[in-house]
Amino acid sequence: MKRTVPLLIVLVGGILMMVQYFIPHQVSQSIFNYYTDWAPIVSSFALILGIGSLTRVHAHKIRRKADNWQYSWAVLIPLYLMPVLGLIWPKSMGGGMDAPSIFHFMYMYIQIPIQATMFSLLAFYIASAAFRAFRAKSALATVLLLAAVVVMLGQVPIGELLGSWFPKLGLWILRYPNLAAKRAIMLGVGFGMLATNLKIIFGVERNWLGGVGK
Amino acid sequence: MYDVIGIWAGAFFTLAIYSFLYKENPIYRLAEHLVVGISLGYGIAVTYSNVLKPRLIDPVNSGGHWILVIPGLMGFLYITRFFPRISWLSRYPIALLMGTSMGVAFPLTMKAAVLRQLESAIIPLYREGMSWDVVLGSVIMLLGTLAALIYFFFSKPHKGPFFGFGSRIGIWVIMLGFGATFGFTVMGRISLLIGRVQFLLSDWLHLIK
Amino acid sequence: MSAVSIWERMLNIDRRWIFLGIGIVSVVPFFLRFGLPVVTTDEVESIYNYVDSLGSEDAIFVSFDFAPGTQAENMPMAVAVIRHAFHNHVPVFMTASFPIHQTMMISAIDYVLNPQTEGFYQNVPFGEWERIREKGITDRDEIVAAWEAEGNELPDGALGWAFEGRDYALLGFAPVFNLVILGMTNSIETQYPQDINGNPTGEMPMLHEHKSLREVDMVLTCSGSGVCVWWVTFAREKIGLPVAFGVTAVMATDYYPYIQTGQVLGQMGGLRGAAEYEVMLEENGITPSTDKAFTGMDVQSAAHILIILFIIIGNIAYFAGGFHKKRLLKGGR
Repeated sequence: MKRTVPLLIVLVGGILMMVQYFIPHQVSQSIFNYYTDWAPIVSSFALILGIGSLTRVHAHKIRRKADNWQYSWAVLIPLYLMPVLGLIWPKSMGGGMDAPSIFHFMYMYIQIPIQATMFSLLAFYIASAAFRAFRAKSALATVLLLAAVVVMLGQVPIGELLGSWFPKLGLWILRYPNLAAKRAIMLGVGFGMLATNLKIIFGVERNWLGGVGK
Repeated sequence: MYDVIGIWAGAFFTLAIYSFLYKENPIYRLAEHLVVGISLGYGIAVTYSNVLKPRLIDPVNSGGHWILVIPGLMGFLYITRFFPRISWLSRYPIALLMGTSMGVAFPLTMKAAVLRQLESAIIPLYREGMSWDVVLGSVIMLLGTLAALIYFFFSKPHKGPFFGFGSRIGIWVIMLGFGATFGFTVMGRISLLIGRVQFLLSDWLHLIK
Repeated sequence: MSAVSIWERMLNIDRRWIFLGIGIVSVVPFFLRFGLPVVTTDEVESIYNYVDSLGSEDAIFVSFDFAPGTQAENMPMAVAVIRHAFHNHVPVFMTASFPIHQTMMISAIDYVLNPQTEGFYQNVPFGEWERIREKGITDRDEIVAAWEAEGNELPDGALGWAFEGRDYALLGFAPVFNLVILGMTNSIETQYPQDINGNPTGEMPMLHEHKSLREVDMVLTCSGSGVCVWWVTFAREKIGLPVAFGVTAVMATDYYPYIQTGQVLGQMGGLRGAAEYEVMLEENGITPSTDKAFTGMDVQSAAHILIILFIIIGNIAYFAGGFHKKRLLKGGR
C-alpha cells in the first residue's frame, strides 16, 4: 500500500499515456481528456506542500531566534496576508485582487520591482567578473573569449558602426558552430530525459517516493 | 494617486536593492524576504481563483459535477504529508502526476529533442547558389555536431583518430558555442539593468520618455 | 613601486568602482540619445512577417512564461506582438505558466491599454459590450460599428478598440502548464472555464471561433525559463502549432537548433530581438514610435564596449603582471 501501489500507479499511468499517443482511439482519447482536465486540479493542492514547508522553516527560525529571525516575519506575514486580502477582505477596505487594492499594490509595486532589481544586480557582477576572471589563459579560453566579444559587438548597434562584419560573423557563429554545440547538448539532454522517464515509469528510479512511511 | 504612491514604493525598493552593491544592509534583507512571502501568497490566491474555484468548487456546488470530487480528494491527499503516520498517502497524487507526465512526455520529447534533431543534422552541404559562408557553416554544423557528440561520449577513451581527433574538434566547437552564450549572457544581464534604469528615469523621475 | 604591484593593485581594485562604471554607462546614454540604427535579422523578421500575414479570422496565443526578474527583456517582446496583433485585429489569448507570471501578463495588457502609452488601444471590458453580443453580432467590423453607433468615440491618440473577449482574453495561470497545453489541444474552455476577471470564456466570441489550439495560428512564448520548450514539445510536435520564441538572451543561443529544424518559426533573443520587432512595427506604421527595447539599445552598446574594455584591461594586467606563470594572484580572484 505504501510503496507498491504508488509504483504501480506510476507504471500504469505512464504506460497508459504512452499508449494513448500511439493509439488515438476514442476510449484512449477520452481517458486523456479526463486526465488533462483533472491533473491541474490535483496539482493545485501541491501548493500546500510549499506553504507548509516555508511556514515550518521560518516558524522554526523565529522560535529558535536564529540569525536574522526577525526577517522571517517578512516571509510569513505576506504569505498568509496575500490570500486573505485578495480573496476574503472586503473590497471597501482595499480588498480584492484588481487595482486599486492592497493585494494589487503588493505584487505590482513591491514584488515586481524587488524581483526585477535583484536580477539586474547580475549586470554589475558580470562586469566585475569580466575584469577579474575572464582570462585568455589557453587557446580554448581565447576562442571562447573571442567568440563572446564578436557576438557581443555583433548584437549591438555600435558593432555595425565598428565594422559590418561584426554582426555577420556574430550571426554566423550563432547559426553554425553554436548550433552544432547546442544540438549535441540537446541530444544528450534528450536521451537523458527519455532514460529518466523510463526509469521512473518502470520503478528503477524511486527517489521521488521520499523516506516517509517506508 | 494610487499609481504615484506605487511608483514611489517601487523606486524605494529598487534603490534599496541597489544599496546592496555598496554594502549588505537590513532593507535589502527585508526586501529579499518579502519577495518570497508575497510570491507564494500571490500563488495561493491565484491558484484558488483561477483553478480551484472555477474548476472544482463552482462546478461541484452547482451540482451535476460530483465526479470532480475524485481529483479534489486526490489533491487533498497532499496534506497528509504533514501527518507522519499517514504521510505515505501523499505519494498517491505524486505518483499519479509523475507517471502520467512521464508517459505523456516520452513520445513527444523523443520527437522534439531527438528525432527532429537527428533528421535536421544531415542537410545538403551544397546546393547551387549557396554562398561560401553558408557551405562552410553547413559543413561545420554537421561535423561539429558529430564532434561535440564524440566529446560528450565518455564510454570510450578519447584516443585514436576517431575518438581522439573527434573529441578535440568537439571541444573547439563547444567553446565557440559557449563563447556565444557568454556574449549573450552579458547582453541579457545588461538588459535587465536597462529595464530598472528606465523605470527610475522614466516612470519615477520622468526625466526621459 | 614595482611594475608587478601596479598590475596587482589594478586587478585588486575595489569592485565598487567597476559597479560605478556600469552604473554610469547605463544612465548617461539615455540623455545623449544616439539612436543608433538596429538592423533586423531573419530570426525576428520571420515572426513579424508571420503575424503580419494573419487577420481577424485567425488567432494567436501570447504565453507569459517569465517572472519579473526578466521582464526587462521579455516584456517588450510580448507588448510588441500584442500591438501588432491588435493592429491586424487578430485575437490574442494570453496565458501564464506560473502564478507569478500572471503579474507579467497583467502588466503587459495594462501597458498596451493605458491611455498614457503612446499608441494605446482603448479597452472595452467584457461586461460593457454585452448588449452587442446579445444581438448576435460576431464580426469585428460590425462590433465596432455597433459600439460606435451607441455613441462611443475613440479617444485621441488611441490606435483602435480592444474588445475583451473578441480581441483579447486573459486566461492567466493554470498549474502543470505542460498538461494545460496538451489539454488545450482539445479544448481551451475546459482548461480555462473563466478568465482572470471571472468572465466565462464560453461566452467569448474568440473562443467560439477558436475552440482549441488546433484552431489557433501561432503561439509566442515569452520565456525566461525552459517553459518555451513545452510549447515545442506539447503543441508543435503534437498538433503542428507554429511556435515563435521570445526568450532571454541567456537562453537564446540554446534554441538555434529549433530554428534550423523549423520547429520554431523565429526567435527574438533578448532586448535586441524585441528592439528589432519594435523597429519593424514603427517602419510599417503599426506603432507611432519605437518603444523601450529600442531606447535601451544605446545603453546596451555603451555597456558592451565597457565590458569588452574590462576584459581587455583585465587580461593586459594579468599577463603584463606575469600572473599567468607565477604565483596565484592574492585576493580579487
